[in-house]
Amino acid sequence: MNKNNKVLACVDQSQFADHVADYASWAARRMEAPLELLHILDQPQEAAPENDHSGTIGIDAQETLLTELVNQDETWSRAARERGRIFLNRLRNRAMDAGVELPDVRLRKGALEEILVQQEKEVSLFVLGRRGESADTTKRDLGRNVEGVVRALRKSILTVTEGFREPRRVMLAFDGGLVTRKGVDMLAANPLFQGLPVHLLMSGKQSQDGHRQLARAKEKLEAAEMEVTTSLIPGDTESIIARTVRDRDIDLLIMGAYGHSPLRSLFFGSKTSDLLRSATIPTLLLR
Amino acid sequence: MNMFSPDILPGIRKDLLAGVVVALALIPEAIAFSIIAGVDPKVGLYASFCIAAVTAFLGARPGMISAATGAMALLMVTLVRDHGLQYLLATTVLTGGLQILAGWLRLGFLMRFVSRSVITGFVNALAILIFMAQLPELIGASWEVYAMVAAGLGIIYLFPLLTKSVPSPLVAIVLLTGTTLILDLDIRTVGDLGQLPDSLPMFLLPSVPLNWETLSIIFPVAATLAVVGLLESMMTASIVDDLTDSPSNKNRECVGQGVANIVSGFMGGMAGCAMIGQSVINIKSGGRGRLSTLAAGVFLLLLVVFAGEWVAKIPMPSLVAVMIMVSIGTFNWASIRNLREHPKSSSAVMIATVIVVVATHDLARGVLAGVLLSGFFFAHRVGTMLHIGWRSEDEGRLRSYQVVGQVFFASTDRFINSFDFKEVIEKVRIDVSRAHFWDLTAVGALDKVVLKFRREGTDVEIIGLNRASATIIDRFALHDKPDALEQPAGH
Repeated sequence: MNKNNKVLACVDQSQFADHVADYASWAARRMEAPLELLHILDQPQEAAPENDHSGTIGIDAQETLLTELVNQDETWSRAARERGRIFLNRLRNRAMDAGVELPDVRLRKGALEEILVQQEKEVSLFVLGRRGESADTTKRDLGRNVEGVVRALRKSILTVTEGFREPRRVMLAFDGGLVTRKGVDMLAANPLFQGLPVHLLMSGKQSQDGHRQLARAKEKLEAAEMEVTTSLIPGDTESIIARTVRDRDIDLLIMGAYGHSPLRSLFFGSKTSDLLRSATIPTLLLR
Repeated sequence: MNMFSPDILPGIRKDLLAGVVVALALIPEAIAFSIIAGVDPKVGLYASFCIAAVTAFLGARPGMISAATGAMALLMVTLVRDHGLQYLLATTVLTGGLQILAGWLRLGFLMRFVSRSVITGFVNALAILIFMAQLPELIGASWEVYAMVAAGLGIIYLFPLLTKSVPSPLVAIVLLTGTTLILDLDIRTVGDLGQLPDSLPMFLLPSVPLNWETLSIIFPVAATLAVVGLLESMMTASIVDDLTDSPSNKNRECVGQGVANIVSGFMGGMAGCAMIGQSVINIKSGGRGRLSTLAAGVFLLLLVVFAGEWVAKIPMPSLVAVMIMVSIGTFNWASIRNLREHPKSSSAVMIATVIVVVATHDLARGVLAGVLLSGFFFAHRVGTMLHIGWRSEDEGRLRSYQVVGQVFFASTDRFINSFDFKEVIEKVRIDVSRAHFWDLTAVGALDKVVLKFRREGTDVEIIGLNRASATIIDRFALHDKPDALEQPAGH
């Protein structure tokens, strides 16, 4: 087995974890790649002693406090490790039931982004929930980690929402840019999409050679024996993508992600984030 | 963006509460330290607010409390007495500038040379200084003063047994103030010691002449302040690092402290730095984020500005009690228990640091003495790691010496004395391939040995000199090659 092409699924202890694991299993099976399930333990944010506001420090204040804090952290770490292990084992069994041979699990501490960047060399596809553990409490449409992680990584990322449906029809939001042209090559070469019908959609502002670019992309995919349809619809990208997904019963969207700088998206908003919020189907982000 | 997102949002409630607790302990300290420095209490209070507020944003160590400190106040006494407040403000600004420079030059790494014993000595000396600063209030005072200090300490340490939800120093201060007012005791109060703030701090340029004379007055003080401030801040930061099990950037902390002092100087405050005792109180009260530091500063200012009338009525003995608590909490008591078990050289370094500080009231000199002394002890220790063996070869015609270990300035005497120059023999072979010649003194010693043998008419052959002298780091810059590290392991 090639060690450098694993599918890395990032799971947290939320209801989304199952679906992340399902999609990751699906991808690993199709790509015949090893699957690794990664769970990151968050450090407790408030490991402070319980409500001691006396403000008193006596003999050996520092040493006593250090011992107390170390004991607390130790207890927490042991409990969290055990919880994490049980949780990951359940997902591992789920992945094995889905037909993945020997999925690997890994429990880590630290910052998600940093760990993923470290692992990037050995990964061909990241799978990640668009919302997470805190989704119910914060009511956020897009998890707080997603944009940062996607921006930090240079490999494709499959972001999923609730529910698993094995993808049967794939759509590429094609803008003729470098990233999506590379995406076409990837589509043609990647076993993940072999045998799935692909729809190429171009929207947004009408450019004069849009048709030509579409035709070239179609040719490339047909050379890889894929079933390709295309459409070019001028207008607002977000609503056209949403409509086409619905009309053509697409269940996996592929698009370029975060082409603009973080500063620009701070002021003008990010098309990627908007699309990730509105699209209900899994989305493969190209970097 | 990073400044806010991870640290300032979670645990807002805990940070705010901890900030209040810290603010209540900061007020007596800021007042007491202003009095040590010989300025109005408002100088220390403004400084504490400015420094806490600025380091909350620009410091590198969330959860650490910085404000006006005793270590710094002690260094200002002469300057304030001889030249007045305006020069102190100018010095404070210059101190900040020097600290920023230290941060940019990444001098944080120099902390490596400050050994654990020196740090313990520093902390103990600091605690002793804080305690000694209370003595003027106690010596020759009336019995009421002693009774109030004792009662204050009693409340501070016993009240937490009753409930931990109220800061016991506050309880002590409130009760003692009430008692004084009701019994109408004739005891010095905070209001007797100078002006308290009646407004928010304002931006003011220190009114000093901008010339060489001014610089020659303020620079030496500013340099010492900068060093002491950074030392205490670095130590406090690593204590908080340990307590919270998280790292912090020491060079960024230098810059943060520097900016804080510059702001403080322009706002009419004195120089300050991180505080060990207060930071421990903050962590203990549940403060972890930057908000706890900010809250401490802001509460302090609000309390003093809007309750200044009441603050002025606080009797000094209650503040003395709080300061004695801080002193007790800062002192490293384990170091006394460990005196017997730890190596004598470490204990000597610790005690020397304490003695120098207490004698000079200058923490910088104490640390310098401690660092030098630990350097001496280390050189001495390594100097003993030299072994020279010998055996006779070739039927008594050849004497073979085997040198193993470190040859440098501290071990050359031992090196030279190991050779028997008066032995009547044809030839001597010195094998130095397993020795390190670290400096010119060592090379000179080897030359001397060769010369002495030649005078006796003995031929000398040296083996492995290239390898041994390759460790003269300055010339060959070998310190970064793995080979240089690997060799000592063989001994």
